[in-house]
Amino acid sequence: MMRRVFLFFLSFCFFFSPVFSAIDTIAVDVGISVFKTMPLGVVPFAEKSGKIEWGEAPPHQILESDANLSGRFEVISSPKFDLVTFSRARAKFYVTGSAELLANGKVKLSCYLYASQTKQLVFGENYEIAVQNVREAMHLFFDQVVFELWGERGVASTKLAWVRKIDGVKQVIYADYDGYRRRQATNDSALSMMPVWALGNNKLIFVSFRNEKPQLHVKDLDTKRVRRIYTEHKQSFSPAVNPISGEILFSVIRDGKTDLYLGDAEGKKSRRISYLKSSQTSPAWSPRATEILFTSDRGGGPQIYVMGRDGSDVRRVTFMGRYNEKAAWSPTGDRIVYTSMDNGKMNIYTCAFDGSDIVQLTSNAGNNEHPTWSPDGNLIAFASDRSGTYQIYIMRRDGSNVTQITKQGENTSPTWSWYDSPPPTSKKEGKK
Amino acid sequence: MKTLNWLLTGALAFAIFSACSNPPPPETDPAPKAKKSAIRVQEGMSKEDSLAAAERARLEAERLAAEKLEADRARLEEMINRLMSDDVYFEFDRFELTEKAKELLAQVGDMLKAEERFVVTVEGHTDARGTEDYNMTLGGKRAMKVKEFLVAYGISSDRMETVSYGKEKPKVEGASEDAYSQNRRANFRVKIK
Repeated sequence: MMRRVFLFFLSFCFFFSPVFSAIDTIAVDVGISVFKTMPLGVVPFAEKSGKIEWGEAPPHQILESDANLSGRFEVISSPKFDLVTFSRARAKFYVTGSAELLANGKVKLSCYLYASQTKQLVFGENYEIAVQNVREAMHLFFDQVVFELWGERGVASTKLAWVRKIDGVKQVIYADYDGYRRRQATNDSALSMMPVWALGNNKLIFVSFRNEKPQLHVKDLDTKRVRRIYTEHKQSFSPAVNPISGEILFSVIRDGKTDLYLGDAEGKKSRRISYLKSSQTSPAWSPRATEILFTSDRGGGPQIYVMGRDGSDVRRVTFMGRYNEKAAWSPTGDRIVYTSMDNGKMNIYTCAFDGSDIVQLTSNAGNNEHPTWSPDGNLIAFASDRSGTYQIYIMRRDGSNVTQITKQGENTSPTWSWYDSPPPTSKKEGKK
Repeated sequence: MKTLNWLLTGALAFAIFSACSNPPPPETDPAPKAKKSAIRVQEGMSKEDSLAAAERARLEAERLAAEKLEADRARLEEMINRLMSDDVYFEFDRFELTEKAKELLAQVGDMLKAEERFVVTVEGHTDARGTEDYNMTLGGKRAMKVKEFLVAYGISSDRMETVSYGKEKPKVEGASEDAYSQNRRANFRVKIK
C-alpha cells in the first residue's frame, strides 16, 4: 500500500512538474532569487497649490517604478506616513516630497528621503522644472537615494537603445531605461540594427543597410548627423565599444569569412586582431578592457571564447550545448551573460568568467536573447517573444523580477547606455 | 541525371541560338529598304515622293531597331527574372551546397556565360533562429560558397560580389519550418554592365 502511494506520488511528480524535469535535463541552476532587497516606504507628494496635472504618472509613482525596476528595493506604498505599516514591513527609510505649481508655469518639487523611526531627514533635493520633465527629475532623485542607501550608483538616469520595426523597417530608437521618452535615431528606408552607445552617450554606433550592405555608421544625437565609419570595409557589423578608451571592436566579412577588427574611436583606422581559420563575431570587452569575449565557429557551431586584447591566449569559455553566442561581461567583472539555443529556443544564461557555475536565467517563455548589462551590473535587459511578439524586458542578474518595458510593435536588440556623468558625491544636506 | 543533361544541352542550345540569331537582323533588314528607295529615286519619282519614301524607310528601320532592342530587352529581362528567382537553399546552420543547389547553380552559370554583360550580387540569408551577429557570419559563408562554385564553373570572380543579410531579409515571414527552410537561401541580384 505504502509502495503504491509512493508510486502514485512519483507519477504525480512526473506528470505535473514538466517544468522542472525539462530543466533537470540541462543540469544547471535556475534563477532563484538570492537578491537581498531593502524595503522602502513611498508616500505620495503633498500638492501645495492644489491639484497638478502630472501627465503619465505622479512623482511618487515614478519613484515606485524606479524602485521596483532597480531590483534593490521592495516598495511599501502608503497614502501617508504610517510608522506601523513601515515598521511591520521593516522599511527603515521612506521617500516623499511636496509639489508646488509656480507662477512661471513650472513645478517646484521638493524630494526627501527620511528615516522612518525618527522622521529624520537623510537627504533632500529641490527641482524647478517643467511638468514634462518630472520623470527625468525623479530618476535623478532616485539615483541619489540609491547612492545614499547603498553607496552605489543607480541606473534610473541611464538609457536603452534598441531596434524597433516602424512601418515594416527596422530603425534604431533610444529611450530612458524604463522605456519612456522615446526618440528615433534613424529614419531610413533601409534597415538599421545592432546599436551600441559610444562613450559619453551622445552617439550611437549601428549597422545600416543603406548601401545594400551591412556597414557601420555613427549617429551624433546632438547634431543629428549620420556618418559611415571604417569605410575601407565593405561589410562591417557587430560593434563593441571599449569601456575605457572608446575604441571599437567589430566584425568584418571578407571573402566569406568573418574576422574581428579593432578600430579607433573616431571610426577611421582599424586593424585585424583575429587570425583564426574560423569565423569570429560578437566581440565584447571585459570591464577594464584587458580581455575580449567573442564567438567563434571553429568547433562547428558558435561557442564563446576569450582572448587578450591583442588577440593572444585564446581560451574556450562555453562547453555545454551546441549554440552559445552574444556574450557580455558584467561591469562588475564576475559574470558573463550569453544566449544559448536549445531545442530551437533561445535562452539567457550566465557563467563565471572561466565558464564554470552556469545559471539559466530564462526558461519556458518563448525566445530570450540579446542580453545587455545595466552599468551597475545588477540588471540585464533582453528581448523576448514570450508575449507573442518581440518586446524588451529587464530582469535582475539572477533572472528574477522580469519587467516588460515595451508593449507594442516589435522591439529587439537592446543595448544599455553608460553612466551619464562621473559618480555623484555624497550630499548630506539637511542631515545634522 | 539524364533529364539534367537534356536540360543543360537545351539551355546551352538556347544560349547558342540566342547568341547567334539575334545580332544579324539589324544589318540585313534596313539595308534592302534603303536600296529600294534609292532605286525609286533613279526611276524619276517626284522629290516629295522620294523624301516621303526615305522618311518611311527611316521609320521602318527605327521600328525594326526598336523591335530588336525590345526583343533583346525582353530576353534579358526574362533571364534576369530567372536568375533572381533561382534561390539556392541550405540546411540549418550549414553552408555546404546540396546536390540540388549545385544543379541549379550550373544553370545559373550557363546563363552568366551566355550573357557576359551580367554582373551579379550574391545575397546570403539565414532563417530567423539564432542571433543577428552569428547569422550575419553564416549568410556571408553561404554567399561565398555560391560564388566559389560559380568561379569553379568558369565565371570570372570580378562579375560577382557577395553580401550577407543575415536573418534580416526573410523571403517568407513566420516561425514555421516551412518558412525557415525557404529563408535559408542565397539569391541573386543582377545588374547589366
